[in-house]
Amino acid sequence: MTFAERMLRIDRRIIFLVIGLCTLIPLLYPVGLAIKISPEVRSVYDYIESLPEGSVFLLSLDFDPASKPELYPQAVALLHHAFKKNLRVIGMTLWLPGTGMASEVVTRVARVEGKVNGKDFVFLGWSPGGSSVIINMGQDLYKAFPTDYNNQPTKDLDVLKDVQSLRDVTYVISLAAGSTGIETWYVFGKDKYKFELGGGCTGVIAPGLYPLLRSGQINGLIGGLRGAAEYEVLIGKKGRAVAGMDAQSATHFAIILLVILCNTFYLLIRTPRDKAAPGQH
Amino acid sequence: MSFEMIFGAWVAAGLTLFILTFLYQDNPLFKLAEHLYVGVSVGYAIVKTYDTVVIRLIYEPMVTQGDWSLLIPLAIGALMLTRYVPKAAWMSRIAFAFVVGIGSGLAIPRVISSYILKQIEDTVRPLVSLAADGGATFTYDLLNPASNLNAIVLLIGVVSVLFYFFFSIEHTGPGRAVARTGIIFLMIAFGAAFGYTVMARMSLLIGRLTDLIDYAKPQYGWATYWLAALTIATLIALRWRHKETEPPA
Repeated sequence: MTFAERMLRIDRRIIFLVIGLCTLIPLLYPVGLAIKISPEVRSVYDYIESLPEGSVFLLSLDFDPASKPELYPQAVALLHHAFKKNLRVIGMTLWLPGTGMASEVVTRVARVEGKVNGKDFVFLGWSPGGSSVIINMGQDLYKAFPTDYNNQPTKDLDVLKDVQSLRDVTYVISLAAGSTGIETWYVFGKDKYKFELGGGCTGVIAPGLYPLLRSGQINGLIGGLRGAAEYEVLIGKKGRAVAGMDAQSATHFAIILLVILCNTFYLLIRTPRDKAAPGQH
Repeated sequence: MSFEMIFGAWVAAGLTLFILTFLYQDNPLFKLAEHLYVGVSVGYAIVKTYDTVVIRLIYEPMVTQGDWSLLIPLAIGALMLTRYVPKAAWMSRIAFAFVVGIGSGLAIPRVISSYILKQIEDTVRPLVSLAADGGATFTYDLLNPASNLNAIVLLIGVVSVLFYFFFSIEHTGPGRAVARTGIIFLMIAFGAAFGYTVMARMSLLIGRLTDLIDYAKPQYGWATYWLAALTIATLIALRWRHKETEPPA
């Protein structure tokens, strides 16, 4: 057996170990590689920067704990930015399993920024229906959410003063881990009720959302952990996303190297017969 | 730090390590964590749905505010449960017809407008832009989404990929070249999607390892170290037991 053949039959647990070490070592000993800001992330930042104080900002945390490593840092960064700008923040979720986590992140960041529940922000919680919830909110926000997550009547809240429906919301951002998220907010929300829409998403669904970005259906897109890191750099509050970028770069480098090595070994072991009849395996 | 925080850290660190043991081989620790995850997720969903839907959206408005009109959707929803009674199962079709009808009515026009018309509108862009003074401009910049060069790339990509999926004529001669171009565009799209997927999966690993590093701190009672030792010891014991019970070759 040649060296190339031995390498192609290597125990996959060795590859797991290499990837694990490439992730762990940069987390323990960060290098601080530079993070370049992409135009799609800057668009979201610039739009929030341009909003006057007291504008209504709705953050829909449409993800569950399985997507926490990517979307939670995005939520933290966006909430810090919105509270710093003194926007009126409405939090909610279209994903039932993420309700507790969404409530925790909104409340925690608000506490850090010294904001008061009901006056500066509200967390509406979850309501069943997905797209129907958005349509319902577009007609009457108080019918869709008669009470907030803490069972307080929404009609009495200062933060929702002069807000009757989605038409009174200035900017909506959906942090999405799947199909009930940015696309739903566009199709059933922005297209009909004419608010500005931005998005944050997991890396897996990001390529599918770029057509919406290009056509102007969303005004910005924060993609995955990298997008969160860019946003943390923009607001000058480096957190978990920035801390993870060295590990991200190291693992990507390792995977690229492994792909090149595997292909090289594969080409080396190809017999003349294989070359004559490719694709017969 | 409160007891709940420390207890939560131990549970999180333990279950993370148990799940990661699958990378070594399938084992009871992984199965325990997997079954717990499924059970807790379902339990959480049931409790939250009951609290939000049954109590807050149905019971409280009806009983405290006297909004008895909610009995209509409640009755339609209840018809779905008739599927469990064979003789009355036909009644569930009324509820399903209602859901499908409303869903289609809401979705079809909006989806056509948002995904098809709006995307076609964006794809068919003029190759030459008219400047404010009436002159024609033709910018070459791949990094600028509004550039005419991008419009040409987009046009070639859309046409060639659509042609690749057009099977009514044989892909020979010039058609073969166009279909091949379509494959190249598809491969680039798949590569981009795969790259993002790798990034997403690595982000999940980074998230779990970051938590494990946090839980290895003294304020959490060195949870990660203790539980890692326990996990490794259990795996060794399971391996040893498996070897003992293995029939001789």
